[in-house]
Amino acid sequence: MKPIPRRKFLRGTALAGGALLFLPGITGCRSSGSSMSGNYFLGEFGIDETLCSKLLARALSRGGDFADLYFEYTLSNYLGLEDGKVNQSYGDISLGVGIRTVKGDQIGYGYTQDLTEEAMMSAAATAASLCDMTATQVASSFSRLQAGNYYPVSAGFDGIPAESKLPLLQQINEKCFSMSPEIVKVSAGFQSSIKRILIASSDGVIAEDIIPNGFLYSTVVAERNGRRERAFWNLGGHRDFSFYTGDVVDEIATRSVDNALQLFDAIQPPAGEMPVVLAPGMTGILLHEAIGHGMEADFNRKKTSTYSTMLGKKVAEPFVTIIDDGTNMNLAGSINVDDEGTPGQKTLLVENGILTSYIHDKISARHYGVEPTGNGRRQDFMNYPMPRMRNTYMLGGDASPEDVIRAAGNGIYVESVSNGEVKIGEGDFAFYVSQGRLIENGKLTAPVKDVNIMGNGPKMLANITMAANDLEMSRGGAGQCGKNGQGVPVSFGLPTCLVKSLTVGGTDQKGGRS
Amino acid sequence: MTKAGNRQMSFPELADWVISRTLKAGANDCRVSLSKRRSVEINYRDRKPEVIKEATTRGLYLEVFVNNRYAGQSTPDFRNSTLESFITGLVASARIMEEDPYRTLPDPKYYEGRSDADLQTADPDYSSLTPEERHSMARAVEEACLSKGGDKVISVEAGEYDESYEEYIKTSNGFEGSSNGTYCNIGASMTAQDAGDRRPTGYNYVGCRYRSDLPPLEEVGIEAARRTLDLMGGKKIPTMKTTVILENQGAGRVLNGLIGPMSASNIQQKRSFLAEKKGLPIGSRFLTIVDDPFIPRGLGSKSYDGDGFPARKRMLINEGVLDEFLVDWYYSRKLGWEPTSGSLSNIIIPPGKRSLPEIISDLNRCIVITDYIGGNSNSTTGDFSVGIIGKLYENGKFVRNVAEMNIADNHMNFWNRLVEVANDPWIYSQARFPSLVIDDVVVAGI
Repeated sequence: MKPIPRRKFLRGTALAGGALLFLPGITGCRSSGSSMSGNYFLGEFGIDETLCSKLLARALSRGGDFADLYFEYTLSNYLGLEDGKVNQSYGDISLGVGIRTVKGDQIGYGYTQDLTEEAMMSAAATAASLCDMTATQVASSFSRLQAGNYYPVSAGFDGIPAESKLPLLQQINEKCFSMSPEIVKVSAGFQSSIKRILIASSDGVIAEDIIPNGFLYSTVVAERNGRRERAFWNLGGHRDFSFYTGDVVDEIATRSVDNALQLFDAIQPPAGEMPVVLAPGMTGILLHEAIGHGMEADFNRKKTSTYSTMLGKKVAEPFVTIIDDGTNMNLAGSINVDDEGTPGQKTLLVENGILTSYIHDKISARHYGVEPTGNGRRQDFMNYPMPRMRNTYMLGGDASPEDVIRAAGNGIYVESVSNGEVKIGEGDFAFYVSQGRLIENGKLTAPVKDVNIMGNGPKMLANITMAANDLEMSRGGAGQCGKNGQGVPVSFGLPTCLVKSLTVGGTDQKGGRS
Repeated sequence: MTKAGNRQMSFPELADWVISRTLKAGANDCRVSLSKRRSVEINYRDRKPEVIKEATTRGLYLEVFVNNRYAGQSTPDFRNSTLESFITGLVASARIMEEDPYRTLPDPKYYEGRSDADLQTADPDYSSLTPEERHSMARAVEEACLSKGGDKVISVEAGEYDESYEEYIKTSNGFEGSSNGTYCNIGASMTAQDAGDRRPTGYNYVGCRYRSDLPPLEEVGIEAARRTLDLMGGKKIPTMKTTVILENQGAGRVLNGLIGPMSASNIQQKRSFLAEKKGLPIGSRFLTIVDDPFIPRGLGSKSYDGDGFPARKRMLINEGVLDEFLVDWYYSRKLGWEPTSGSLSNIIIPPGKRSLPEIISDLNRCIVITDYIGGNSNSTTGDFSVGIIGKLYENGKFVRNVAEMNIADNHMNFWNRLVEVANDPWIYSQARFPSLVIDDVVVAGI
């Protein structure tokens, strides 16, 4: 169905899976020494340079600025525990090629799951149908892109086998129940995938990558005096199995149980405008949603973002520096290469309060006459790339976290948020506070629950008046950023920050505790 | 495609082949679902095509049951050699799962009684839609939106999307079902220049099974512009307790928080505030929700569900009383209940007698909620909180657009204050909800 033009942050619960048992090994290459030497798609499907050239030539047979091919083979697998048993296994295989022809800001796109020459040539012809001019030349040879290695995997890594996941789920279940007699239900899951991609572009670049991704989570339901509360926690990212140790199991169980129990003491804060302190780490979603999306260059190129006239201007206090980074080790948004063949890199969006760059893919970079920033990302081969964030964070300031809370006076302290949404053009956003506390007279007091915080992204950025020296990145792996119906994994981070004023939406008209 | 000799197998032949191989590999039972889909998307911006996208996809989803152990996996790769290893691998995956006595295919007696009514899910004229017609549909919507938007327009995107699909399901214990359908969607989104830096974006997209059921293209584009212009000057106003009207096409955003907890999985997992409420009132007498799978050309129409149970018309909530839960096969066994079907088809709230303007004209004050932002509904407690965008009326007269406001309530209280249902069901959705009038809602702002 037609995606509604609205951006939502989705918590990944998809059971997209794929029995990793079936991953064929990498087989020998046929053209040793070429730019595609050792490539999976060459070994399995005979995708070589000659065929890539032929497909690109077809995609540009009616003209266009450039064309690219995106081959993908992703295997994913989910194992789930419910009522004490690991009794769900779901898997998925995603295999195919997407072929794109670009002319200015116009896109022709065809894709196929059938990697035969005939089917791929037909998809290339679909992409070419965008144009009606004479053919554009394709580079006569390919060179292999040299990219970073921000999520190294051991040689021959074929994903995390189901047998390894099973005991971890059982340990989470036992740990959660052992922590409190008030825990009445535990469900846990381990989602993992391994994605192999090959990108060939008409300007003669070939890039490939192997991307491990996944997360381990638990959801618990606690019951006290007939009342029930629920909480969730996860850890993950672009990691292999070595990350998922006993400490990780303990952290997931402890955070989900503690958070559920805390909700029994939670009150609804007063509704209205008040100072809000954002805790370090996970609240970086706010930075991503309320501010980062507005800096994506496609919205600015189309003049639908409030930031479209702000490049080079002051958008925040001088201590504020915001970075979108593909180079953090093992985080969910890290990329060695983006999905159109630009190396992963670190991009300064706001430097000392000044908006210095948008988030670019190749199309927007050409529009603005700048280099692409390595943000051209896509969900899979069925979708064309667009400017997307990676790991987005704000650098820390000089204050201590206690100073920031004290400076707030009376307000709320937001520890964790979910279900965020932003209206890009207005900049308005709303987030549900899943964990938080009241701030009374500069001190943290009662937990709060079931409230929204609402505001305007650019105003919020301008209203960040204080930041602590405790930048923390989210280590979750379940976070999927949704844009135009496409989800991509991202991470984010914040130091403890004071926002001078945001709207808090509770039920009470004027203030009090209940 | 897997081939028998030199011939491509049909879906029924392929399903039989997969079932036979799966049972040979050691499964006690299995279910295979096959699908094929062709889709086309055309988007226009600045009076030129911005995106042209077209593809055909296919999928095979296999679920295996091995001594009450379960695994499921999908693949797009129908090659013989790959499917052989896919099947043996999946059976091996199921074997390492823990035994769960409730993991079985349904008792075949529950497959019986399927309706053979013609649901008209596939437009016989679908294949006559040409690329030129698709372009001209998108252009017509764009032009109408640009014209209505006038000098307020910053950007308009208009699009046409259509698809046709076939699905086939077969189980090793006697269920067989097939369906096909078409869908065609058109619409536009417009961004307007408002005061200061605000650039509100509004949209209007409508979709139908039959292209001939779409409203006139010009109306679709004009409505997108009108909805955008309605966002101009939207601001938060002082917190108030007032009547709110959930406009028809967005009402599902709040109602989903009531319907989700009716599922047996939420009930069995102690995540439903409705678990103990069957047969009891959970809303006012104006709240009736019907699940009707037999509406001709309905976007949710179907003759069987994912378990293979025959679809049937059922009353979920009858004049405020919770009549039926959504119980699939697996959770029915866990709960020890009779299955009722865990999935929904077309969800209907029977329309009332008066139009939205008539209702507004009778109210001293109301906020018509036209869109939502963020928010959450807690299925365990029934508490919800959501940002709203809308229009304030006083004494039947429009006062101003509002934005950045919030409603927070509990479903067990909220639906008791449903005082009227309008006569305007939104027919371009599986959820055909009319506008709903709720009294005494705190709308939080300044």
